[in-house]
Amino acid sequence: MADTRPQPRFNPWPAAIFTILCVLAVLFLLPTVGVLLSSVKTTREISMGELWSLPASLYLGNFAEVLGNPAVHQYFLNTLLVTLPATAVSIALGVMAGYVFAKLPFPGSNLLFLVIVAGMFFPPQVILVPLFRLFNGLGLIDTLWPVIIVHSALGLPICVLMMRNFFATVPNALREAAIMEGASEWQVLTRVILPLSLPALAVLATLQFTWIWNDFLWPLIFTQSDSKRTIMIGIVNLKGQYSVAWGVQGALSLVASLPTLLVFLFFQRFFIKGMTMGAVKG
Amino acid sequence: MEQHNRFWRIALLALPLAVFGLFVVWPLFSSFYYSFTNWNGFDANYSFVGFDNFAKITTDRLFMQAAINTTLWMVAAIVLPTALGLMLALLLDSRVTGARVFKSIFYLPICLSAVIVGQIWTWIYQPDWGLLNTLVTQATGEKFKYAWLAKPDSALWSVIVAWSWQQTGLSMVIYLAGLTAIPGDLLEVCEIEGASPWQRFRRVVLPLLAPSTVVVVALSVINSLKGFDILYIMTGGGPFNSSDTLAMHMYNESFKKYLMGYGSAISVVLFLIALAIIGLYFRQLRKVDRIYG
Amino acid sequence: MAQLQLSDLRKSFGPVRVIKGLDLDIADGEFVVFVGPSGCGKSTTLRMIAGLEDVTSGAIRLDGSEVTRTRPADRGIAMVFQSYALFPHMTVADNIAFGLHLQRVDRATIAARVRDVAETLQLTPLLARYPRELSGGQRQRVAIGRAIIRNPKVFLFDEPLSNLDAALRVQMRLEIARLHQRLGATMVYVTHDQVEAMTLADRIVVFNDGRIEQVGTPMDLYEHPANRFVAGFIGAPSMNFLPVRADAGRVEVPGMAPMPLPAGKQGATELGVRPEHLALAAGTDADIAGEIELIERLGAETYAYVRVPGLPADLTLRLPGDSAHTPGTRVALQIDWTRAKWFDATGQVL
Repeated sequence: MADTRPQPRFNPWPAAIFTILCVLAVLFLLPTVGVLLSSVKTTREISMGELWSLPASLYLGNFAEVLGNPAVHQYFLNTLLVTLPATAVSIALGVMAGYVFAKLPFPGSNLLFLVIVAGMFFPPQVILVPLFRLFNGLGLIDTLWPVIIVHSALGLPICVLMMRNFFATVPNALREAAIMEGASEWQVLTRVILPLSLPALAVLATLQFTWIWNDFLWPLIFTQSDSKRTIMIGIVNLKGQYSVAWGVQGALSLVASLPTLLVFLFFQRFFIKGMTMGAVKG
Repeated sequence: MEQHNRFWRIALLALPLAVFGLFVVWPLFSSFYYSFTNWNGFDANYSFVGFDNFAKITTDRLFMQAAINTTLWMVAAIVLPTALGLMLALLLDSRVTGARVFKSIFYLPICLSAVIVGQIWTWIYQPDWGLLNTLVTQATGEKFKYAWLAKPDSALWSVIVAWSWQQTGLSMVIYLAGLTAIPGDLLEVCEIEGASPWQRFRRVVLPLLAPSTVVVVALSVINSLKGFDILYIMTGGGPFNSSDTLAMHMYNESFKKYLMGYGSAISVVLFLIALAIIGLYFRQLRKVDRIYG
Repeated sequence: MAQLQLSDLRKSFGPVRVIKGLDLDIADGEFVVFVGPSGCGKSTTLRMIAGLEDVTSGAIRLDGSEVTRTRPADRGIAMVFQSYALFPHMTVADNIAFGLHLQRVDRATIAARVRDVAETLQLTPLLARYPRELSGGQRQRVAIGRAIIRNPKVFLFDEPLSNLDAALRVQMRLEIARLHQRLGATMVYVTHDQVEAMTLADRIVVFNDGRIEQVGTPMDLYEHPANRFVAGFIGAPSMNFLPVRADAGRVEVPGMAPMPLPAGKQGATELGVRPEHLALAAGTDADIAGEIELIERLGAETYAYVRVPGLPADLTLRLPGDSAHTPGTRVALQIDWTRAKWFDATGQVL
């Protein structure tokens, strides 16, 4: 290749590519930076058209307003109450079904697997009305339950897909060796297969957490009172209260995105891997 | 052994299948049922109206508008994030300095909620102090005050741009994964045979990326069918339904006008479109698999 | 210590019959090797003995009591897998002790037994390592360690050496032989490598197409194969097969002068001669002549492939390592008629 040639000529490409990437990166970052800037500026500054310039001083009043608002606390709590159980349940269900599809296949199991995975691709609107009627009948509308349940169910396709594909890479001989040593199937799963699946579990946990945290549709349909809303609905609700308080809205957006941003920053590798695995293997 | 396996199969599959069946499969079929009724969401009494809802679809001007918008959205979704994602992937694959940082920057929007993305871009399009108008004002020297999201001509496209901004990172990482999967010796063959960079891209790299392209295009199309949250935030389908999509229209009919029967009929149409696309996707995937397996 | 008995063992996957009725008695402390080409059913049989594969019909008895439907763990059998099947997230010590942990044996006992096993297999300095940090031979020894710690009645080996390089394979082969001598346990060993079979086995079971072709000691199978399949499978390089036409007390072999048919060989259609039973001969003693097409030098010995007009395949001939022959040389060969085998049309030895 180029670097093994005896006399390396000047190659303008790396520099050009780097410049192009820098320009694109700035363009890509601008929207996010805008929110960041707005959150440290006063409403007056913003409405005078000063949003997109660097701030002269950091104004933290917006964050104080957001963090001091009890409604925001409630939204956050509700979102956690939905996200954590739904993430855990969808992954647990994915582990159980994925294990069967990978290690205990039966005639027709591949078809069943495909049917479940296909669920990933359907617009959720298709099942909106029947689910609304179902939960209405159960008296669960305006509680967090339907949101948790629906996220657990709709997370199944991706969880089953990823766990099956991961389990398929674990050699069958490991399961058989454990069985020869006297392990029950449950022990095989919990003592041999799951400890080996930590990377896959991390991938799924980051994906599911992010999606459920960010979701807007299901809490919009299933909750009504302010005390049951999740943070993403809350942002929209508070728009009225802070109608021209752009800075507060910016701070609120940042605070609401913070958990997923942190997950993204710390588990980026898992996150990207999950997105590509889910997409490519689908 | 088989007996033992059967027990564990049932034990482990029962719960996941019950959840999936009850909350995904059953509602799916119920949707078909409701699409033949005039249920309004509350009354216990509703009647069976046959194909009335589907007949209504054919004369519903708003449905047609939404269908056209969804198609536009799909085409734009195929072209914009795919082309941009491929370009970014190619640039990043050349092992440029800081590739990891660049990758994170382009990928970051995907972890943001559609609500947040909608809000960010609402500000970019804000008529008085939005970034877009500020830039135009600075460039022309004249005060520019165009309300991007409030004009039927630009509303849909403005949202599509915002949406592409979020989706590009996804196609980028899929293409990057595809690029790393190309065996290095194939590129070395190009070197030895004296292929120009363009020939190498056009005749070797791009064909070998075919599996990634199938995935990217399918995902873009499917995601665009789901397009709801970001529209809800940015335009609510307006102004004058100029940015309505099928998903949005379905929501409005069902939960704003409480025409759940009619809304179900729309969702059935949505389902059939998705089914056709998934069918095409799997067929294409199998074809690609045969070559690249 | 156990005696193992398979009676009319059969296995089908749907309509496909893979094991078509096996009867075999394995004595206490015996080392039995299953050989055969891939897909012959030897591994499936081993897995049925282990309990990993269901038996379609027939019975497996251990020390007289039937275990056909017993759970694998309750059969008192240990198995060493081809891939070793070490748990990558456990240390060597935990891998070896896995079964004892599951039985909730107390920690002190486990520690003591792990120490013993590690001692015998020279694994003591490696106990805290993870499988990824071990060489192939060390992994193999850990897999054996996991098998012996429970004092099983029967050891099963599923091609345990096939993932090792040639030198290590010889060394591990010796270690397994030594292990068998020391433990005196019943061992069943599956391989497709006939050198392993010949060197390790008390008795060899030759499988073909879901059936047992022949059972016997290594030398028995070498000297007295029951049929063409066993004759061709045992011994390396393989036996030479020459088509013959036997008619009214005379026999014609392409490239040879017609000769009287030996007694009891009526109906012979093929003649089998091992490469080591062919020798170079001077003009008048020669049975057959041809031209050397290819020479393979292995050091201690040399193989010559001799083209004989009229024969469908080259004859393989074993020569001393320092043989000076080169391709193109014409040679005359003499057959050791006392060791030659005659086969009838069904492949049976006459």
